[in-house]
Amino acid sequence: MSTVSFWSSLKEEARKNYIAIFEQEWPTWLAGIFLALVALLIFLWQGPWGVAAGYRNVGDWIFYFGGVGEDRPYSPLLHPITLTSGGLLIGAFVSALMSRQFKLHKAPPLEYVKSAIGGVFMGAGAVLAAGCNVGGFYTAAAMLDFGGVAMMAGLIIGAWIGLRYLLWELEHVTQKGVEQHPPAEKWLGVQPYLGGTVMILVIAAFYLYSAYDNTELGGLLFFGFLIGLIMHRSRFCFVRAFRCPFMTGDAEMVKVVAMSLVIYGMGAAVIKWAWIQEPSMGVTHNFWMGSLFGGAIFGVGMLIAGGCASSTLWRIGEGQTKMVVTLIAFAITNSLLARILKSYDLYDKMGDGLFIPDTLTWYVTVPIFIVFFVFWAFVAIWNEKSEKLVIF
Amino acid sequence: MDLENLAPFSVLDARGLTCPMPLLKTKKELKGVPEGEILEIWGTDPGSKNDIPHWGDKGDNSFLGFVDEDEGYTRYFIRKG
Repeated sequence: MSTVSFWSSLKEEARKNYIAIFEQEWPTWLAGIFLALVALLIFLWQGPWGVAAGYRNVGDWIFYFGGVGEDRPYSPLLHPITLTSGGLLIGAFVSALMSRQFKLHKAPPLEYVKSAIGGVFMGAGAVLAAGCNVGGFYTAAAMLDFGGVAMMAGLIIGAWIGLRYLLWELEHVTQKGVEQHPPAEKWLGVQPYLGGTVMILVIAAFYLYSAYDNTELGGLLFFGFLIGLIMHRSRFCFVRAFRCPFMTGDAEMVKVVAMSLVIYGMGAAVIKWAWIQEPSMGVTHNFWMGSLFGGAIFGVGMLIAGGCASSTLWRIGEGQTKMVVTLIAFAITNSLLARILKSYDLYDKMGDGLFIPDTLTWYVTVPIFIVFFVFWAFVAIWNEKSEKLVIF
Repeated sequence: MDLENLAPFSVLDARGLTCPMPLLKTKKELKGVPEGEILEIWGTDPGSKNDIPHWGDKGDNSFLGFVDEDEGYTRYFIRKG
């Protein structure tokens, strides 16, 4: 019998787990389950998970510093959604460091222009739909708001139009590749330690918030951090669910998002039906005009920018410089358009949240919800084989 | 397979481009490659490490493998089928 000390077996196990968690990529279906669970925790902890309002908060500050906004915007450190979104970015940053993948990526010049234009489209679409791919679609659908389904239709239309543009660009514009800096060996070795330090700081921030009677906000930062980790480790991209059926026919992300939504939606149904949270919570989307048209505009933007509201954040976390441009353009446009619409009283004309169980009753809503998203997945699976919807 | 000694029909430089551009360009470029010939793709997007092998093996085409270069990019090889 060999003598294995307690510590050496612990060390061996820790090493194996580190590789499994931080070096091997997570399967997207697993990430889809994790994402739904964390989103449900956020719903129980505070309220529906969103991202775009964090961008707007950043945009409000940009205008405030530019001397345009008269009222001092909400502090990002006390804004629930800015905190979750900031946590998402930090989580992805930590994940990239822990897996030694953090690297500043340079893109060809045209890509920065596209990042800005895509950000403008997404910022505008998110105002009309009262949310982005997360708050306006993923969460809105799970909160059983018809607006989520209308935005989904808009995102599909927008993705189709956006892909058409990319194909046009492919035929008419030639771009050369850009050389990247090779990663320095020393820096690669330091990354996991830096990542570990940042992770400890996030946990410390939770306790600090808690010490100042803001446990709720500290929790949101931490949940956002978990989402960033999950998304980066699996390269979780909502855009793929809308783009790939038209581009390669690949159905994987449709299956994952549909499954994730069934878990998230049914979990939310339990929470709402049991009155653990107010049933009408999160039913605030602009059904149907705002959601549909906003979704379409957002869909075009996410194709051009190459990232949605959530994947823009995690891609910044791994060092994609062009996504910083998207973030700024998204934030400014979102803040500006919201001001314009509100000052002309147009915002309320975009539609209202409509709670699905109010129309269809709880008894019908639950099975219909499941059948709807399973059907979406099956259309994608059929298309993967037949390529009927592939336009390239 | 010895990837270093392959003689590709053409080389696509997609360094610095991010998802979905490397895959779109690969799909377009491969249309001009004769059957049995090889397309080499240079990429830097971490997402390409899943996308290109996965897509490159679909249908009659075969994905031959990739090589990480010291200069910080990856070379992918697809044989048109």
